[in-house]
Amino acid sequence: MKERIERRGALIALAAVVILGCGRGTQPSQDVSPGVTPVPSADVAATAAVTEYARPAKPSRQYRIGVAIPHLSNPHYVGQAYGYIDEAQALGAQVTLLEAGGYQYLDKQVAQVEDLIASKVDAIILAAISGPGTVSAVEEAVAAGIPVINVNVMTDSDQVVARIRSDDDVIGRMQADFMGDRLKGAGNVVMLRGAPGTSWAEIRGNAFRKRVAEKYPNVKILGEQYSQSTPVDGLRLMEDFLQTFPQITGVYNGADSTAVGAAQAIASAGKAGSIVITATDFQPDTEKFIREGVITASVLQQTVTMGRWGVRAAINHLEKKQVPPVLFTGLVLATKENVGTLDLSTVRAPDGWKPPSR
Amino acid sequence: MPAVIVALAVVFGSINPNFWSATNLANVSRQMSILALLALGQTFAILSGGIDLSVGSMLALVSVVCAQQMKVYGLAAGIAAGVLAGGLTGLANGLIIAKARVPPFIATLGMLVAARGAALTLSGGLPIAGLPRQFLTLGAGYIGPFPIPTVIAVAAFALAHVILSRTLFGRYVYAMGSNEEAAVLSGINVANYKMLVYVTSGLFAGLAGVILTARVISGQPTLGEVQELYSIAAVVIGGGRISGGVGGVGTTLMGVLVLGILGNGLNLVQVSSYIQNIVIGAIIVGAVWIDLARERRR
Repeated sequence: MKERIERRGALIALAAVVILGCGRGTQPSQDVSPGVTPVPSADVAATAAVTEYARPAKPSRQYRIGVAIPHLSNPHYVGQAYGYIDEAQALGAQVTLLEAGGYQYLDKQVAQVEDLIASKVDAIILAAISGPGTVSAVEEAVAAGIPVINVNVMTDSDQVVARIRSDDDVIGRMQADFMGDRLKGAGNVVMLRGAPGTSWAEIRGNAFRKRVAEKYPNVKILGEQYSQSTPVDGLRLMEDFLQTFPQITGVYNGADSTAVGAAQAIASAGKAGSIVITATDFQPDTEKFIREGVITASVLQQTVTMGRWGVRAAINHLEKKQVPPVLFTGLVLATKENVGTLDLSTVRAPDGWKPPSR
Repeated sequence: MPAVIVALAVVFGSINPNFWSATNLANVSRQMSILALLALGQTFAILSGGIDLSVGSMLALVSVVCAQQMKVYGLAAGIAAGVLAGGLTGLANGLIIAKARVPPFIATLGMLVAARGAALTLSGGLPIAGLPRQFLTLGAGYIGPFPIPTVIAVAAFALAHVILSRTLFGRYVYAMGSNEEAAVLSGINVANYKMLVYVTSGLFAGLAGVILTARVISGQPTLGEVQELYSIAAVVIGGGRISGGVGGVGTTLMGVLVLGILGNGLNLVQVSSYIQNIVIGAIIVGAVWIDLARERRR
């Protein structure tokens, strides 16, 4: 059953590539590993390398896997948590899931990784709060003989076994292409980049800026702000942006958590629909705002798949099988037009699923 | 209180035997060292009848200053700049409290916000990476079997104990906290010693900030959120009186041990971090309540 859902998700992602993949090609990202075949991506809705990373055979041993993620207070990480836990169950592994409470608690995440090392888990999966800030914790784990796999948010260390994420470069470009086309090549854009020091905020934001500068010289980027990437941050920053730059016609969001807040600010200002809002991810509020036409488009990450692949990579590595150093999960662009037909089984946890609280 | 610590350790150890492993004992002591240093500074502030709400934000400011100076002037200069930044922030607190006579709660509350703002301004909100690898030793290295942050924290406890029990300054800290008016009347220059209290707190926070920066080998403007509250909790859990004059290095050590062992142990026995917060909150209040009940019976 799970296999089927997985396959269906991959099929739909693949279909998206086929349907949308007939525009001008973009360069594939630089860090595509030899093991992953990049699929040529499209103009507006590019999709990163969509490969299947199949579930390995159930190992004879019950592995203990420690997972440390930034927080559990948005559906993105809840979906990922579901991926870890459900996949581990299928593979007979035991997961210890620790969340740090938010992107501002780097010290707590470092302590959590150390606690996982102390409790001698077989492998650690880490969605890093800070790329530079988690280097020492990762290297400590590796020194203690515990392999570390980065999922979603990367550590700036070459000692991680595998990196499983969306092609954040493509996410930035997809938003830029959509924004540029929607604005018909001219407009004033502000950026809500997300949490400072995270790979996703950096790569996506930089890719967006670069693409806009190259392809849409008349789209001006008026300003950008980092934040802890919550709806409250998005609301506050957007209200201030609207005061500073009344001429705004587009808002980029590194993640949809800020987009939800920004959408509220824009709706309250009576500008819903007249400002193009692009985002990443698909929490229920984002879906609602897309249906209402307030958020214009969002790039869907397969966060459940990220969790599953993290566990698969960990088990493959522990079973002494080759693991590709980089694995990209697929991406789909959601707009008002296709919002009703999307397959969400790889994007969100099932309705009503809650992370276990022991 | 020691009984509570032993009980916690026994419970965690019986659920997860790894709790008692050498790796984990080194681990938990290292995790505690940051809180320990902050709590020592807080001990001076609270004993003197004041409070220092700015120590958490100071970690962030110190981290940014330390990392930025280190990138330009090297390892030693960065460490010195970090500690100094803590001391100077403390001096600013002290001046506002002692000279401008703003109540410590308000003065350091202002600094809590301002120091965080300064950290974000200096860094532009971004982490500062690319620090020398040797710096990592300060956060992750060992002297014999003991993690370096632990050794520093233990040394700091010894130093603080000597200051509080053997120096005039130490005695005046207790005097100010017990009865400030009496201290003034007996000729103590309360204003100057108050300033010294907040400089001390700032220097301890500076040291903590430098070690934390080494642990994450990067300057991080978001470090230390809510740490000021944990430092206050550490002081009062062990039996320090929140209004001053009662307590000391020993009671603070107890508080640090309880919070540190709880944080680590609850992770090791896999209690969800949401529930952890409830447990820690209950223990902060419960410990003080038991303490007060015992005092009343006496």
